[in-house]
Amino acid sequence: MNRFVTWRPTPWEGTLFVLIFCAAGWSAHLSPYYLSLDQILESTRQFIIPGLLALGLMVVVVTAEIDISLASILAVGAVIFARLSAGGIGLAGAIPIVVLICVFLGAFNGFLVARLGLPSLAVTLGTMGAYRGLAFIVGSEAGYTNFSDMYQSPGSDYVLGIIPISLIVFAVVALLMWFLLQKTVFGRRCFAVGRNKDAAWIAGINVKALKITAYAIAGGLAAIAALIWIGQYGSARGDNADGAILFVVTAVVLGGVDINGGRGSVLGVVLALLLLGTLRNGMGLANIGGPVQTVVLGALLTIGVLRPVALRGVQTLRGTLNARRHEREKLAENVNNKTPAQWREKTGENNL
Amino acid sequence: MAQMKPRQSWWAQLLRQRILGVVITLIALSLFFSCIAPRFDSLQNGQVIIANAAILAIVAAAQGMVLLTRNLDVSVGAIMGFTAYVAADYAAHHPHVGILLVVIALVMGGALGAVNGLIVAYGKVSPLVATLGTMSLFRGFTYIYAHGQEVTASNLPPWVLLLVDLHIAGIPFLVIVSAVVVSAVAAFLRFFPLGRRIYAIGSNPGASIFCGLRPERMTLFAYILCGTMCGFAGLLYAGRVGTVTVVLASGWELTSLAAAVIGGISVAGGAGSVLGAALGAIVLSMIDNGLVLLHIPEFWRMFVQGSAIVLAVTADAIINKQVRRSLRQLRLGGRVA
Repeated sequence: MNRFVTWRPTPWEGTLFVLIFCAAGWSAHLSPYYLSLDQILESTRQFIIPGLLALGLMVVVVTAEIDISLASILAVGAVIFARLSAGGIGLAGAIPIVVLICVFLGAFNGFLVARLGLPSLAVTLGTMGAYRGLAFIVGSEAGYTNFSDMYQSPGSDYVLGIIPISLIVFAVVALLMWFLLQKTVFGRRCFAVGRNKDAAWIAGINVKALKITAYAIAGGLAAIAALIWIGQYGSARGDNADGAILFVVTAVVLGGVDINGGRGSVLGVVLALLLLGTLRNGMGLANIGGPVQTVVLGALLTIGVLRPVALRGVQTLRGTLNARRHEREKLAENVNNKTPAQWREKTGENNL
Repeated sequence: MAQMKPRQSWWAQLLRQRILGVVITLIALSLFFSCIAPRFDSLQNGQVIIANAAILAIVAAAQGMVLLTRNLDVSVGAIMGFTAYVAADYAAHHPHVGILLVVIALVMGGALGAVNGLIVAYGKVSPLVATLGTMSLFRGFTYIYAHGQEVTASNLPPWVLLLVDLHIAGIPFLVIVSAVVVSAVAAFLRFFPLGRRIYAIGSNPGASIFCGLRPERMTLFAYILCGTMCGFAGLLYAGRVGTVTVVLASGWELTSLAAAVIGGISVAGGAGSVLGAALGAIVLSMIDNGLVLLHIPEFWRMFVQGSAIVLAVTADAIINKQVRRSLRQLRLGGRVA
């Protein structure tokens, strides 16, 4: 087969495509300023930070766990950047340190969940508070704003004048994550573990190490998100990205990643991010306030999470209807197309 | 019967242990703080601690009941805020509302809880994600309903404020109400068939289906009762703080979960008691109080609460492992004999 036709978007990814265009059309209808390359490229910056967190969370969710402490890890990363910047350390030295610390914080979540066998939702709710407190403790209460241009450039500069560097970073990370999840042994094992942990274990997969790795990857991506954050907002404080986790979880769920693990695609998550970004941008242009946006986000999350349920319901209904029709047809066939002699021959009653 | 005996006494031991954990924490903490914090061990300070814990104890008991069914509710704060705002707003416009105000709060809380319950129980959705969604929905509705306004203490009917500040025989009214509500729920869970079923479905959903229970209904019921209690707590909180804003009780999801798991309620479901959750609320209140007396910055609180959740959950997992091991040994011992 031609390898170009083997890729087909799933129905849900197709739906997301259509929805993105609908949202964009709606935004263009609302505001004359929407349809310009500048504006659209600029608006992508809104979802890059939660987008990086979403790509990390996705790996964790695929292994059938969850991590809602990611926004807090981002805050810790941001204040450590602030500390290092204040200490006069260059960006090249700061990035490895922050990435290492964030990877460690993520891996600690993984350790608690995988090694000690604790339920991930309660544990990461706990570490969410603990890491948030840690960010305040490290960064003290006042925000830090004296970042040098070098620290800010990844989050605020442009290539060719209009393409934000952060967008390129996001695209590269998304491609890497796609490669990691779809094309490497590690990625396929993530899906295997998420689908059936016990079967994966019997098949010789080190489930615990794999989950810890997944959490560590999510932590590492939170560090990159922190770098983009300080460029975009020019400040670091303990309450950075507080409440961002709602947007992140919504993107992952809406992107078709099964919250029970084992299903999902990077393309879906990216499309969901584009959709949410377009909606947010459009609502912003239309002067719709933050509270309504929160309600829309919450409604989308609820819909996204109930979508598999609705799908299951429709399938069951269709199955029942099909079975009934099949039965009726069979009955009709038997009654109409066979003479009593044929019937007897078929069922072997004439042997009696 | 001889074989049953050690098992029974052993279970009794375990039950004692679960409550014992939080009681020991409570005693150790109070000793610790009385040694290092000035004026911690005065009677007045003790009253302050208990009074501060009163409302949290109700919410923690509500959260604990949902935990018993192996679920979780992170929308408790949003339910409290929404109910408190709507009730306060209604009271501001109808000064002679009387006891109807409580009914409004209870019904509304129950209805919001039912939304959670329907999504989680019948939608078979991960409780964390579902209630995260409804949390933002409820909070967003509060913002939209409020239109940037707030209800100040002068708009509230005076009897609400009076009642909240009332002392009966030296004990704050809030503490009495809280104690009554928590004990009633504890008694309900301990002695009523429906209460036992909530434990049963959390302890082993598969077995409970084989016993003819319907886990979905029990879960829905737990969420409705949780919502009702949160609505009631929201009303009390509104009376206590006086000024009702849209961000009222945000962050309570973390606090209530911390109180419940410190109180010995297992996140794996089916074990623990809501009385423990109420004691957990007192522990948190005591930590808050101690940190304030020691002049430790406020943001340490979050760190302490988060770490407390992780520690309590870890301890619970270790206890569970021990329980399983002991049970297996008991079974093996029985077979050998």
